[in-house]
Amino acid sequence: MQDIKESILLKFLCYILIPIMIFVLAVSIIDVSITSQYGEMKGPEEYVETEEFGREYLLTLIYNVRDIRRDKSRMQINTESETSSETYETAEEPIEESPYDNYSEIEDESYEYPVYYEVINYRNTMVSQYINYIIIDKENGNMFTNIRSNNYPEEINKLKSEKTNWSYQDGNIKTNIDSINQESTKYMTSSSYSTDNFEGYEVYSNIDPNTLNYSNSLYVQQTVYNIFKGHENLPTYLIPLSAISIIIMIVYLIWATGHEKGKEGIQLNSIDRISYEVISIVIMFVIGMMMSFAIASIESQIPKRILISVFLLCYLIGYACLAVWVSTTIRRLKAKQFIRSFLTYKVCRWIKVTIEKIFKKVTDKENTNRKLTIIYWGFVVISIILACFIWSGIGFLILIAFWIWAYYKLLQYNKKLQKINEALRNIYEGNPNVKLNEEELEGTLKIMAKYINDIAGGFTNAIEQSLKSERLKTELITNVSHDIKTPLTSIINYVDLLKKEDINNAQIEQYIAVLDKKSQRLKKLIEDLVEASKVSSGNVKLNMEVINLKELLNQSIGEFEDKLEKKNLKIEMDLPNENVLIKADNRYLYRVIENVFSNISKYALEGSRVYIKLEKQKEEVYLEFKNISKDKLNISAEELMQRFVRGDKSRYTEGSGLGLSIAESLTELQGGKFKINIDGDLFKVEINWKSEH
Amino acid sequence: MYNILVVDDDKEIVNAIEIYLSQEGYNIIKAYDGEEALEKLKENEIHLIILDIMMPNKDGIETLQEIRKDKTIPVIMLSAKSEDYDKISGLNTGADDYVTKPFNPLELIARVKSNIRRYVDFNHANDTNRKKENQKEKILKTGTLEMHDETKKVMVDGKDIKLTATEYNILKFLLENKGKVYSIEQIYENVWNEESYGAENIIAVHIRHIREKIEINPKDPKYLKVIWGIGYKVEDIQ
Repeated sequence: MQDIKESILLKFLCYILIPIMIFVLAVSIIDVSITSQYGEMKGPEEYVETEEFGREYLLTLIYNVRDIRRDKSRMQINTESETSSETYETAEEPIEESPYDNYSEIEDESYEYPVYYEVINYRNTMVSQYINYIIIDKENGNMFTNIRSNNYPEEINKLKSEKTNWSYQDGNIKTNIDSINQESTKYMTSSSYSTDNFEGYEVYSNIDPNTLNYSNSLYVQQTVYNIFKGHENLPTYLIPLSAISIIIMIVYLIWATGHEKGKEGIQLNSIDRISYEVISIVIMFVIGMMMSFAIASIESQIPKRILISVFLLCYLIGYACLAVWVSTTIRRLKAKQFIRSFLTYKVCRWIKVTIEKIFKKVTDKENTNRKLTIIYWGFVVISIILACFIWSGIGFLILIAFWIWAYYKLLQYNKKLQKINEALRNIYEGNPNVKLNEEELEGTLKIMAKYINDIAGGFTNAIEQSLKSERLKTELITNVSHDIKTPLTSIINYVDLLKKEDINNAQIEQYIAVLDKKSQRLKKLIEDLVEASKVSSGNVKLNMEVINLKELLNQSIGEFEDKLEKKNLKIEMDLPNENVLIKADNRYLYRVIENVFSNISKYALEGSRVYIKLEKQKEEVYLEFKNISKDKLNISAEELMQRFVRGDKSRYTEGSGLGLSIAESLTELQGGKFKINIDGDLFKVEINWKSEH
Repeated sequence: MYNILVVDDDKEIVNAIEIYLSQEGYNIIKAYDGEEALEKLKENEIHLIILDIMMPNKDGIETLQEIRKDKTIPVIMLSAKSEDYDKISGLNTGADDYVTKPFNPLELIARVKSNIRRYVDFNHANDTNRKKENQKEKILKTGTLEMHDETKKVMVDGKDIKLTATEYNILKFLLENKGKVYSIEQIYENVWNEESYGAENIIAVHIRHIREKIEINPKDPKYLKVIWGIGYKVEDIQ
């Protein structure tokens, strides 16, 4: 079963066989029908003898007479109504149009009464086109004809004497056409189209059988007949045989199309991917072309052989196109791609997707640019529309009201923006306890508010976290330092006791000296460590008051005088005459200055000068310490400020390396600025403070 | 012979203190926690207590509260807690002095001596005599710092202090105006009776020297205080 389904050979065979079988079927049907209907066709002369011809001939004349009679009776009713209504206007108006629908009056000298010439032949059958007739109304002598002549009486005689003629005069029919003779008698007795129709009229007519030669339908019939002439003996069983085989093959193809060997599901080829409308139109066009070409080839008088081959070619091309079309339709349907393969569907989908995209973009709350564009141009358009009505008073008022409304909306929007701005400023200024009411806002502003709230919340959290961790760190350091201090107390005390023992051993005394020095340094380190952690975490209670920096400097120098003297450092002071007041906590401010002096006394080059400058500037107080370092300063100012970092060699001297860092933190806590500058061996400390008046 | 109760959970520290103080002629009674300290206090006549804060069973502050219920003997707190807050809470509970660990043995000895002198010598025996003396001659006094202007004698805790003439004049001026703060300039003008000419830090040096002579710990002075950036004063202590 599967093999049959997927067999290319079988399908190919079907495609080949179907047109052949259709051809066989068509030929058989035509053969049977034509021979039974027309018998043997012998040309126009013979056609004249057929019943069909007779019926057509008679009917043409009957219709003409009936039309004339109808128009005439209508004309009489019109004239009657005109006289009865006594309206002069209509009576005066000349009737220019012909009273007969199908005829118009012509000038003629040869006949005493008016002559009407046929202008419309609406029956348009083969016979009615080639028939010649003259109909005379006996009542008024009007003549109706489709013959152009300048001697109508002569024409009447002519018609009477022509080869194939038919005439009616005073109830007598004269004709030399046998088929009409038979026909007319049949009609006269059996149908309403009897010779009574001709009552009151004289009819003379004839037809030239040779003109029938050029009649289309007769010629086609003749040609087809000629083609099949000689095959009259085709067996009639060919009809059902070919029909059944065609049906079987079509059913098979419908069932099997789209299945290919070794592939699952329905396989579509490149034709199936073309839009359905396009392929349909192209194929319909080709088929239409082929059909008209085939018909035209039959109608043209080309030799029979060429005619047949052309016709066959058209037939095959038409068939191929139809086969392609039907098979692709079926494959599309089977693959459930039928609707999707419509170009219209694709276009509709594209439009839908595009509209959705645009709509999404417009409603996108994040994209304010589009929204703004729409609102702005909406405003402009509405303004323009309203401006069109500006000259009517109400239009003007509405326009003004609309502008005021828009202004009010803008103000409202701006108010909301200001709220957001305020919140942002709060955060910027370090006060993240901001909560915007999101419900009050809408659109982008709402989203902004949400973001700001989130950021503020994040900041608050982060600050709380960092404060907590700083506090924990300080606590940890303080607690650990307590635990270290207890054993350290014993170390220091027993070292001290050892020192007092009478040892008399220079070596041991030296060892004890090292222990003493290092235990003292450890003590200092721990104290500084606790202070540094407290100060850097801001864990210090400040008691701010107005302080004279000049006084403090003098006091400090008094404290450090002997230490500096020991190192042979000379202080060069540059103080202003007036007092220099700043706001600070005096104990912590002294710690700053103390640390700076301590640093100087430890690291300044012995015998050099130390410059101290105090300056009162406009809003600020500037304090500067300058000294020459005794060691090479192979370190940046930033690194030096970092806790535990010191100039290389000084690591081996006393101190913790925290002094300057503590000084910086303390200065900043009290609102000042502490900066270190290193220029070669010149070590400079700059302190700025806000001046107090 | 004075009895000193040393209370600390660290035995080595107690031993070290014993060594230092017995050299000075004191009798040491040892205790290793608050409970024990209170027991020892009941059993013996104690003249001074050195009390650690962080101890098992009963900590220093609680013990001190117990002691202060019925006793006025001097108590020196000895603690690793060096924060201002700790010192203040210790002193507020009723401690007479506060020494932080690691301590300088000499400072501790000095403080012990100072407190015992004040407690034993001044409070009881000589109190009335001194008041009479004060009336007779001009004596400037704050706490245990005394200045006998006629004999040019300065005493702290009953111990003679040797000062130079300048130092004596500065201290005298500050003592006469005890409790008030004077800037370097003001001190100069008042002591020298002339305009200051810019060598103010000489005064600062002198004051440091005075502090070094009269104070047990010059960096944490009791009498002559430095108000940084403002000036100096002598604390008014009753």
